[in-house]
Amino acid sequence: MSRRRSFDDDEVLADAREIFLEHGYEGTSIDALVKATGLLRGSLYGAFGSKRGMFVAALRDATYSESHDSGVLNLVLVALMELSDHDLEVRGLVRDYLAKLSCSGSGDTNAVTVDVAKLLGETLLQRAHIRLQSDDERSKS
Amino acid sequence: MNNKVAIVGRTLEIEPQGLDKMWSFKGKLVVPLEHVRGASEDPGILDDAKGLRSPGLHVPGKWAGTYIEHGEKTFWNVTRPESPIVIQLKDERYDRLVLGVEHPRELVDRINAAIIEK
Repeated sequence: MSRRRSFDDDEVLADAREIFLEHGYEGTSIDALVKATGLLRGSLYGAFGSKRGMFVAALRDATYSESHDSGVLNLVLVALMELSDHDLEVRGLVRDYLAKLSCSGSGDTNAVTVDVAKLLGETLLQRAHIRLQSDDERSKS
Repeated sequence: MNNKVAIVGRTLEIEPQGLDKMWSFKGKLVVPLEHVRGASEDPGILDDAKGLRSPGLHVPGKWAGTYIEHGEKTFWNVTRPESPIVIQLKDERYDRLVLGVEHPRELVDRINAAIIEK
């Protein structure tokens, strides 16, 4: 049996993040999380309480740093699209993270800047494999 | 056989339906929301290991009663083709409830929203 009962949190959250990125929140089943993490179903419920609990833990872990690699931004997009309209905790995590990215250049600590909004838009287009044309390219053509 | 699950004040009330006296379950289960760790839709749990049942009798496609696996106690009341929800508890007689309900997704969202309200 390769299924784990005790586990390394970081590794489990990284596995969970990959699955949520691939299938989105609603599209991710407990079966998929059990398979990807190698945890027993009971251990998964015991550690995180629910699928939502696991998503929140993965999101918290990913947005803890000021990293804005595409994995983190894509997870934030999943949270924005599927949870943050009705889930206040997720909305708070996403808002805090985006505000943190925003204020690395300026003084306002609780606002999201146009630059960060642009970064999200670009990430969304990349996720959809739609090419973004820069202003320079556009003026040349 | 759908279970009745309702949020009443700061508690979650579960009334299992269709249980005979022999399942040794009386009336309803009332759990403070502070003891509810989360709810999930989980159709796949029907095909996973369930542990040993005590007491109860076996009917194909129906799981009712108390199951024990890895020292955890789970209360089941679900009949195929119902799609069960899983409610994880703490500091309760049961570690976990697996219940067939009428509107699984709405109920899961309502339970999870109720437990994050402070």
